[in-house]
Amino acid sequence: MVSSVGAGSTAGAKALPRPASAMSDRTFGLVLALPAIISLILVVGIPGVQTLVYSFQRVPLSDDPATFVGTDNYAKVLGDESFVESLVVTLQYTAGYVVLATVLGLLFALLLDQPLRGRGIARALLIIPWATPVIIAGVMWKWLIDPQVGGLNAVLFELGVLEDYKPFLADREWALVFTILAAGWHQASFSALLFLASLQTLPNEIVEAAKVDGATAWQRFRGVVFPWIRPMLLVVVVINVIYGVLQFDTVWVMTQGGPGDATTLLPILLYRQLFIFSDIGAGSALAVMLGVVAVLVSSIALILLGRDNPLEA
Amino acid sequence: MASRTVSRPALRKKAVTTLLYAALALFAVWVLFPFWFLVNNSFMTPEEAVAVPPHWIPEEPTLGNYSAILAGKVAPGGAEVGLRVLTALGESLAVGVLTVMVNLALGGTAAYSMSRYKYRGSRFAYLAVLFARLVPAIAIVAAFFVALRDLGLINSRYGLVIVYTSFTLPITILVLKNYFDGLPRELDEAALVDGASRLQALWYVIRPIARPGFIAAACLVFLESWGEFFYALTLTNQLTIPPVLAGFRGFFQFNWTTLAAATVLAVVPPVLLALIFQRYVVRGLAQGVAK
Repeated sequence: MVSSVGAGSTAGAKALPRPASAMSDRTFGLVLALPAIISLILVVGIPGVQTLVYSFQRVPLSDDPATFVGTDNYAKVLGDESFVESLVVTLQYTAGYVVLATVLGLLFALLLDQPLRGRGIARALLIIPWATPVIIAGVMWKWLIDPQVGGLNAVLFELGVLEDYKPFLADREWALVFTILAAGWHQASFSALLFLASLQTLPNEIVEAAKVDGATAWQRFRGVVFPWIRPMLLVVVVINVIYGVLQFDTVWVMTQGGPGDATTLLPILLYRQLFIFSDIGAGSALAVMLGVVAVLVSSIALILLGRDNPLEA
Repeated sequence: MASRTVSRPALRKKAVTTLLYAALALFAVWVLFPFWFLVNNSFMTPEEAVAVPPHWIPEEPTLGNYSAILAGKVAPGGAEVGLRVLTALGESLAVGVLTVMVNLALGGTAAYSMSRYKYRGSRFAYLAVLFARLVPAIAIVAAFFVALRDLGLINSRYGLVIVYTSFTLPITILVLKNYFDGLPRELDEAALVDGASRLQALWYVIRPIARPGFIAAACLVFLESWGEFFYALTLTNQLTIPPVLAGFRGFFQFNWTTLAAATVLAVVPPVLLALIFQRYVVRGLAQGVAK
């Protein structure tokens, strides 16, 4: 088979051998890609543009036509007191979430990169929180810290940390901490999987050479390992920032934004605008702002990364 | 070299190793403690679940929570959790499988095209996929809500499949394009020389070889679909399992142990899938999601 290809491919090195059908390669390529492209236009492009349009309209619930209201919806969202409060909470949440998920993820990856016994099992364990849907992580943690049935209260009580069983989610600060923890539990695994993938592409010889030169573990980390995973660190931080800003699931299931407005993240606010107050215009304005932030953050990261794929470095 | 002073470095090394294994144990606790609590409670009666101090292992283990769910009955203790779980699991499965099929068909051909063929606008098409990957689901829900309402597809599994395609298809295309890029072009060329049409080359030569890529993409899409909550909450009336699980809030309204069993049933499929296809999934994750 190989020899027959060799004979034919000297002539066909530039263009693929002419197939029987009359369609040119260019047309064929387009036709193959077209169903997906049309689908993406239908399910991403048009809804995106439609949301943008809604954000400048008052959209009635009935079949009446929407009316153009200029930037009223944006003014309404930005001028609302709850928006500023929510923005502050979202920033606090995101900061905690990004630090937790990224630092824990890096520590897990470094640990599971060591030649330890049971490493294979540990790496399988690492996948589990990531494979657990975020919403289910929220359900699990909600009941884990529940004062009636919760295991965590019991553990902390037996250890003498708590004097009494505590309804954590009824407390403003603790509610924020535990909604971060539940989402971070899932996301730390995600970060670790990516860090580990990057660590595994680090040639062993480089680390060994540093060892031979007498570098301490810390020196090896700073001089060799960290520079190697830095592009991946950027990817992970950017993804975590976006997931933090857009976090909805764990907060919804654990606190629904409460107590008070202690955990009312911007996506919770968006949900309320759209589905509680049925204000599609204002909700869309908030959605557009969230979407622009997400796209901008990741675009900047893509540009910073240039063409470097952290896994092919 | 430094082996003359054996004792101190050796001692140090031993201390480091001990620390590493301690860290490994802590890591295992971090992962497993929430699960252990969940599984433990799913085998308890409602009365035992509220015992103080709590029982770390059920003293009177019961399958009542699971059997109530599987029979679609009201669980012991009068909770209605069990009634909806089985149908919701079925819907989740249907939505996941359908979304995977749509993704592999549309994404497979598009990714192959983007890996092998150039045409006017092909660069733009690729950038459009990257851009679509960046648009957050939550940002376009209003448009979906109105459109599905007008189409009569609220609370429909097909509506969800359409919506889920918006955030899964870019992942599928990126994962598969990456995989196709790693396959030598000589494979396609050899097939064409042997007289196959371009479609036959894709179907009979590339598709079987690219199986690991398809498995990775299928797993990622199924996991995304199975755990998707926001659209399921807003565009359906607790059709799939995530909004059903999230819908039970107050402790006194229902029976936590039955919810625990339902949660176990909902978490086993994605975890098993990820463990079975660990290798493919992790590589797909690194190539398609992180890029």
